[in-house]
Amino acid sequence: MKPAIPESARLLHSRRAEQVILFTIGRQMFAIAAESVREIRSTDTLAGAASEIEFSEVEKVRHTIERGRHTYYVVNGCAHFRLRVVRPSLAMILREFRVVVLVDGIDRMAEIPAVYPLPRAFSGEERAWYRGLAYLEDHVIPVIHPGGFLTRDEFHRLDQAVLAAASLREMQGAAQA
Amino acid sequence: MMAVTNPASTSFVLLRVGERRFAFPANIVTELAPPVRLHTFPHASPLLTGVIVRRARIIPVYDAGSVLTGKRMMSHRFYLIARREFGKATELSAIPVDGECELATGEMQPPPPGQPNYVTGTVQVRDEMLDVLDLEALVTSQPARSAGELEPEATA
Repeated sequence: MKPAIPESARLLHSRRAEQVILFTIGRQMFAIAAESVREIRSTDTLAGAASEIEFSEVEKVRHTIERGRHTYYVVNGCAHFRLRVVRPSLAMILREFRVVVLVDGIDRMAEIPAVYPLPRAFSGEERAWYRGLAYLEDHVIPVIHPGGFLTRDEFHRLDQAVLAAASLREMQGAAQA
Repeated sequence: MMAVTNPASTSFVLLRVGERRFAFPANIVTELAPPVRLHTFPHASPLLTGVIVRRARIIPVYDAGSVLTGKRMMSHRFYLIARREFGKATELSAIPVDGECELATGEMQPPPPGQPNYVTGTVQVRDEMLDVLDLEALVTSQPARSAGELEPEATA
C-alpha cells in the first residue's frame, strides 16, 4: 500500500497564524513576516544615503546604505527573482539581515492562517527564497525567507568589495594630501 | 473515465497530451481533476509551471507536454493527479492533459530500442500501441527544446 500524503501538506491543517506584509515586485505578489521588516521607505528618501558599489560581484546589488554603523546591501527584487526589471518605488529594510529590498508596491498587511511547505518538486533556488506558501483569498502567495536574499558567500564578497573601495578612497585621499 | 478491462493484466490510465496518447500505471494515479486555477510564482525548477489547489492541498504542476511533444501546453482540459515519491515521502503531482482519460488493462511490453528513459514499456490497447511513462523519469527530463524555443500548443 502506498504511503499516505503527509498531513502537513494539507491546507486544512491548522498552524500558527502570522501577520505578513503583502508586497509586489513586478506583477508578482509576495508575503513577508511583518516582524522581519524594520522599515519601509520610498526609494526617493533613500537616494541621498545610498552609495554605489563600483565593482559589485553580486549583480543584483548595486548600492549600499549605512545604518547604525552597519552596511546594508540594496537588493533589486526584480533581479533577485529574475523578473522583468521595472523601476522600484519602495525600499523594504529588513530587521535581522543587512538587506534592503527594492520592491514596487505594498499591498497591505494581512493575517495568514499558516505557511505551508513548498512542495518538494520545487528543487531550485526557490527553496532558499521562500519559507513556504500561503493561501489567502483564493491566491497562493510565496512567503519570503528574509535570509534568502543574499547568501553568506554573497555577503562576504560584498563586504570585501566595500572594504576594498574604502581602502582605495583612503589611499587616493592620502595621495592628494 | 471509460474502462477497458482484462483481469489478468496490469491497469493503466491512458491520457492524451497534444496529438498523442500515453499510458501511466494506474496505481500512481489518484484522480482526474478539472482545470482549476494555476497559481504561478518565480522559481528556478525546470518543467514546473506553478501549483494548483485541489482538495485542500497545494499540488505542483509539471508541463509534461514540453517533454512529450516539444510544445508548451497553452490549453488543457484536465489535470491528471499522480503520486510522486521523494524517498520515503510521497507528494501529489499534476500533469495537464488534453482530453478525458481512460482506464485500460494490458500486458506491458519492453520499450523499443532508442526510446527516452521515461518510456518504460509499451502497452497495446485495442489496435493502438502506447508508450508507458515513468513519472519520476518524465518530470526530471529536460524539455525537448529549451524553454525559450518551445512552440506553444495550438489552442482548440
